[in-house]
This record gives sequence, C-alpha cells and structure tokens, in this order.
Amino acid sequence: MIKHSLLLAVFLASAPAQALDLGGVLKDALDKKQEEISAPAQADNPSQAENPSPDKSEPTINLKKPSRAEEIQVGREIAGNILGAAPLVKDLALQKYVNQVGRWVASQSERPYLPWHFGVIESEDLNAFAAPGGYVLITKGLYRQLKNESELAGVLGHEIGHVIKKHQLKLLQKQQLLSMGAGLLSGKLGKENPTVQKVVGSGAEISARSLDKSAEYEADRIGVVLAGRAGYEPFGLPEVLQAIGHAGKDDGRVALLFKTHPHPDDRLTALGDAIGSRLDKVEGKTLENRFYKLKN
Amino acid sequence: MKHLNTLLAALLMLSGIAFAGETGTALKSDTLRKEPYADAKAVGTLKRNDKIEILTKKGAWLQIKAGKSTGWVRLLSVKRGTQGSSNEAAGILGLATGRSGTGQVVSTTGVRGLNEEELKDAKFNEEEMKQLEASTISAEDGKTFVTAGGLKARKLDYLPQPQPTKGSAQ
Repeated sequence: MIKHSLLLAVFLASAPAQALDLGGVLKDALDKKQEEISAPAQADNPSQAENPSPDKSEPTINLKKPSRAEEIQVGREIAGNILGAAPLVKDLALQKYVNQVGRWVASQSERPYLPWHFGVIESEDLNAFAAPGGYVLITKGLYRQLKNESELAGVLGHEIGHVIKKHQLKLLQKQQLLSMGAGLLSGKLGKENPTVQKVVGSGAEISARSLDKSAEYEADRIGVVLAGRAGYEPFGLPEVLQAIGHAGKDDGRVALLFKTHPHPDDRLTALGDAIGSRLDKVEGKTLENRFYKLKN
Repeated sequence: MKHLNTLLAALLMLSGIAFAGETGTALKSDTLRKEPYADAKAVGTLKRNDKIEILTKKGAWLQIKAGKSTGWVRLLSVKRGTQGSSNEAAGILGLATGRSGTGQVVSTTGVRGLNEEELKDAKFNEEEMKQLEASTISAEDGKTFVTAGGLKARKLDYLPQPQPTKGSAQ
C-alpha cells in the first residue's frame, strides 16, 4: 500500500503537465454542463444572444470573470473593428457555406451553444481571426488557398479552439492587469468596471498581437480534433499549414500571420508529435466536390 | 461517348499520379514501413532534413522514396516542397498535384492587405457586423447540410500536449 502511494506520488511529480491538463478537462466538462443547462433558454431568446448590447453607448465589463454576455460583447467589439478594416465578401452563398461548415465544427466542441458567426473578409492576406464569444473571420486570401471542405473545417477549428479556450480574453486580462498595476502606482484607480472599448483598446489592435505560442499549438491540436469529430479527414489543417509554409518570407500576404504565429514548419512538427499514432486509422470526408469556389 | 471515356481515363490517370514528382523534406526522423500501418515491417529509416519524393497518399500516410528505399511514413513527418522554395515554385507544385483548386497564383498588386496599422486604426462597422450576425444558419438548414455531405459525428479525444521529443517518432 505504501509502495503504491509512493508510486503515485512519483507519477504525479513526474507528470505535472498531465495533472494540469486533467484540471482543464474537468473544468471544461463543468463549463459544458453549465452551458447545456443555460443554453436552451438563451437559444429561445435570440435577441439576447445575437444582440447583447444594442444601443448602450458605454457598456462595462468585468474582465476578471466575464459572463457569457460580456464575453460576446467584447468579441462583438473586436470583430466589428476588424470588419471596419476589411468588410465581408459580398457573396451570400459563400458566407452561408462557411457558416454551415463552421457551425457544424463548433457543435463538436464543448461550447456548441455560443452564437457562432463565421465570415470571409475582403483581404488578400493569408490569415484568420477569432474573437471571444464565437466570432470567426477568415480572409479571402486564405480561403483561396483551400482545396476542400476538410481544410476549411480545420482552419475554422483552429479559430474555434481560440474561442473555447478563451485565449484572447486571457490576453486582454493580462493587459488589463498591467494597466491596473500602472494605475496603482500613479494612485489613479477607478473602482468601476472599464467600458468594452477601453478593454479592447484601439481598433482591432488586439488581433494584431501574438498569443502565447502554446496557445497557437493548442488551437492547432483542437482544430485537428474538431474537424475529425465532425467526420472530416482530420489532416485538413496540416494540409493548409503545408501550403502556407511555401509562402516566401518576403511575401506580404503572410507578414502578419508569420509575425503572430510560430512558423508553419514548427506547427507541423508540434502537431506530428501530438498526434503520433493516434490518428493512424481515422479517415474521413474531404468533400472537394461541394467546396464553394470563390467568384473572383 | 468514346471521347468522354478517353477524357475520363485521362482524368483518372492524372489523379492516379497526383503526387508523382513532388518532393519534400523529412521534418523528423522516422521509420519507413512496408505498409501504411504502425506495426508494418520496417523497410528503412528517415533522418531529419532527408530529401524525399512523394509517391502517393493514403489517410494519415504518405508513400515516399528516400534514397534507395521506398515505404510509408505518417504524413506529418514530411514537409512538402523543396526547402526555401519560392512562391512561384509552390504554385507550380500545387498545379502538379492537380489539387490546387481555383487560381493558386494570386496577383498581389493593388489588393488590400490587413496589417497591424490597418487593424489598429480600424473603426467599428455596425452595418457589416449586422450582416455577419444575419448569416447565421438555422438548425434545420445545418442538419440538411451535414446529411448531404455524408458527415457523421464521431468520438475523438483531444490531443494531449506533446512532451518534448528527442527527434524520433514513437
């Protein structure tokens, strides 16, 4: 018995990462439960889900523990700012198609009931953006690189990963803590919660900043799994990374992507290490036949 | 009809040699296997940065030629295309695989980018946001789409964060 406890202790000590991960899984399971309970009511009330802050000019936010509605408010502000820089491609069939794929992939995650919105934006850059609360935007340039639906599913899955893991909220929170620290030093510290605009900062600046590298690798792993769960061949995202990896360093279309993400080669290697033999027998659909072709 | 058949045959041939001639580099050391299975007989080894030639793809596996040996490795052990290949080369490779979809080569003159400055200076666009929010699809529409694609949801565990490797696949 003592021997067993010792073994257990050694195991725990040697595997702190797994122990942490387990915590994450537990927490996610709890989140899922909560959302499943609260979701039906919210789904029945689209005005609340779809338009969290219709005309309040200065809604405030508690970043420490944002509610679902607050999370959506922050995401709406960020996504709306990105749309200010690059509007939606005016092709309703394209936008509908991307929402159909994205919705299905997102429904494989532990937050299926967020009001997910997917859009293709007018930019020849190769990039995609996620904002809290379920907003996902992909550039026309990146869409053009895709060869089939499983690749689209993988890319959207990566962005969905950022949303469900709240990567951007964590970055905003860090930023907020920093400015609060500065406030403490200068003796100026408001008690009230900051406004959404204050939290988000200037324009969509937050979307031009890098997340932790580990957050990108995590989103890659999630993207592969969500696409696989949705019935697609899980290697769509790695295929896209292969293609992006071919872009030259001096290619302006990947400048921001390469600046804010680890190099595609490193992402492929990390994915390979994570996948190992786990997906050896997982096949799936690629659906190139119904993949929506851009009109221009 | 005869013409159609010839055309079909030609297309089939094209897709059959999809990968022929495409080259790549080993991202890590790995074992070449006789069949696309983890427990298939080892027929050779692959060292990081080895130049390889891709013959065909099957699920998670690529059949490759490395030096004198031919065998199967997991597709994530290989980076496709030659190292440091230019954009143009990537376009040609894309065409060579016959899977490039619409216009892989894109003119980049006079088109809008999306750089840090543009994002920072961006102003909220309510009109566009309303359009984005309006493109949400109904549950029923979603179901039809999924069924039409023959997609079936299945269980798949999340991937654990990998431990740092010593340059070899398990």
